Amino acid sequence: MKQKTVTQSMSWLHTWCGLLLGWVLFAIFLTGTLAVFDKEISWWMQPELTDQAQSPAAAANVAQRWLMARHADESNWNISLPTERSPDLGVSVGERRRGGGGTHLDPLTGEPIEARETIGGNFFFHFHYTLHMPRLLGVWVVGFAAMAMLVALISGIVIHKKIFKEFFTFRPAKGQRSWLDGHNASAVLLLPFHLMITYTGLVIFFLIYMPAAVDALYDGDRQAYFRDAQPARAAEQSQREQQAPQGGQAARGEQSGRGEQASRGEGRSKPVASPSAPLLPLGEIVSRAEKHYGAGMIGGLAVSNPGRANAEVTARPVLGNRMELTKGEGMVFNGVTGELIRAPEPSRTSQLTQRVMAGLHFAQFGGYPMRWLYFICGLVSCAMIATGLVLYTVKQRKQTKANQAFLRFVESTNVAIVAGLSLACVALLWSNRLLPAELASRQDWELRLFFGIWALSWLHAWVRKPLSAWREQLSGAAVLALTLPVLDLMTTNTSLDGIRLPVLASVFAMGLLAGWTAWKIPTIVAARKARQPRLDRPVPGVSS
Amino acid sequence: MKAPLQPWPIVSRTIAAVLGGYLFTYCCTAALARLLPLAKSDAVVVATLIAFIIYTVVILWAFGCRSAWRAWAVLALAAPLAVIGFWPQLMELLG
Repeated sequence: MKQKTVTQSMSWLHTWCGLLLGWVLFAIFLTGTLAVFDKEISWWMQPELTDQAQSPAAAANVAQRWLMARHADESNWNISLPTERSPDLGVSVGERRRGGGGTHLDPLTGEPIEARETIGGNFFFHFHYTLHMPRLLGVWVVGFAAMAMLVALISGIVIHKKIFKEFFTFRPAKGQRSWLDGHNASAVLLLPFHLMITYTGLVIFFLIYMPAAVDALYDGDRQAYFRDAQPARAAEQSQREQQAPQGGQAARGEQSGRGEQASRGEGRSKPVASPSAPLLPLGEIVSRAEKHYGAGMIGGLAVSNPGRANAEVTARPVLGNRMELTKGEGMVFNGVTGELIRAPEPSRTSQLTQRVMAGLHFAQFGGYPMRWLYFICGLVSCAMIATGLVLYTVKQRKQTKANQAFLRFVESTNVAIVAGLSLACVALLWSNRLLPAELASRQDWELRLFFGIWALSWLHAWVRKPLSAWREQLSGAAVLALTLPVLDLMTTNTSLDGIRLPVLASVFAMGLLAGWTAWKIPTIVAARKARQPRLDRPVPGVSS
Repeated sequence: MKAPLQPWPIVSRTIAAVLGGYLFTYCCTAALARLLPLAKSDAVVVATLIAFIIYTVVILWAFGCRSAWRAWAVLALAAPLAVIGFWPQLMELLG
């Protein structure tokens, strides 16, 4: 790389950065796009649950009656309340930071419901930022990919001189030109979104990625920084940790083990039991918290020392109660008198800035219109990455000096990442319906099927010619997506509600999209053959 | 896109951009956090939010500048920045 212009070196950087990290980025963006509707997918994946349209306050009372009858002597109760996106009532006991989910109850009658175990839409959410690796390693790999995305975006802008003119340029069915136009259009059209979502993604874990400032000012002690920035909440947390030391550690250590829903009997080590006192109806506390956060905005309750004089109830809001992302905040009430003990502390301006950025990435605010906007923008991002990946192979194939083995590797990896991952995602939904509901460690089987099918798609892409591999895998994904409603009708007898029906309809629409792409491929190739009749050396396995 | 014939300049630049760039950004963020006229906890957030932009620019510069040597030259700037950022720790270390 000697004596090149800036444009040339930026073009080189854009190509290689985009190609090598583009595969990881496509997986991150596709699962992230699906994770916009994680709760809805989870709801679809547990067809045993039904929406009873019960108000959160009344559901809280139902949960309280059930817990009182069975777990009156536990020191911690957790209740996750029915919300708009997930009208499920869940209860668990023991120290669990992240709220209930141990037992599902019917929100009207309080009868326990045996819902199938599933990795749910949560899987897409976790895969999005850890790639199913150990958490910290995954966070770093995804952060590295996000930096590559920023670099690819900025270098892409630099090499793209006629940014405004080319935005209106699209020349379909012209081989490389069309791929370039498609790549440019999807990139330029949503450039602010691409930049925003990538930067705010880095901002979520900002102190993990760049601990320099904390190292310099707080000697690397992140807790010290936390105490300084949020004194009240830090005090509350250390107090809670002193109350249940083992429980707190268990909750933290559990982050790696997913889905351990067994109720934990820890936290019995309370030193002196307070005198008993009746717990206020929890519905009353939900109503009081709703006055602060808004109706339907309470996602869960945590009760400590129920039935004792020192009972406390923490009401936690759902994430989307405002733009700022405030995980783990809540209002603490006295469980006997119902008086407010602690209201959430407003964030400092600097923290607010970071949390609003994180909130912009999480897309929990603004309800369903905002969710759909993010979903569609996410799909366009995926399209931009995918067209970029294909563009590389289309360009390379024209070069006589191209390294054929590497080109072959790129082509098959492109197929496995773009078409194979989409196929695996739909197959995951299929496996949710096909695996027996009472199968032991069912979540692991869902995972095995997901990764198994993805691995097979890799093998298939390697064995078949690229063009056939593209067509077959896209057709496979399309067929699975289009027939999912049929499978759903055959395997479950629940009525489709206002959450499951849109999930099915969206999967169906994506199936149409995949099918259309698969159907288009032969026409594109025919057009190319017509354009280039003088191609004397037929390259094995050409695709467009 | 022609494949570069000599791999070493590319490898050198890539290491300079990814690792050297991170080191530079790290020192720059520490110095910035120290110098910003803000409360400590605010300075942490402001400096760290800017860090990602600095890192992006440094990576682009490492690939865009004329020679791989220039890319490495940035690292020379990292040392004084680190001294500013970690001044109290350095004083303590020196006694």
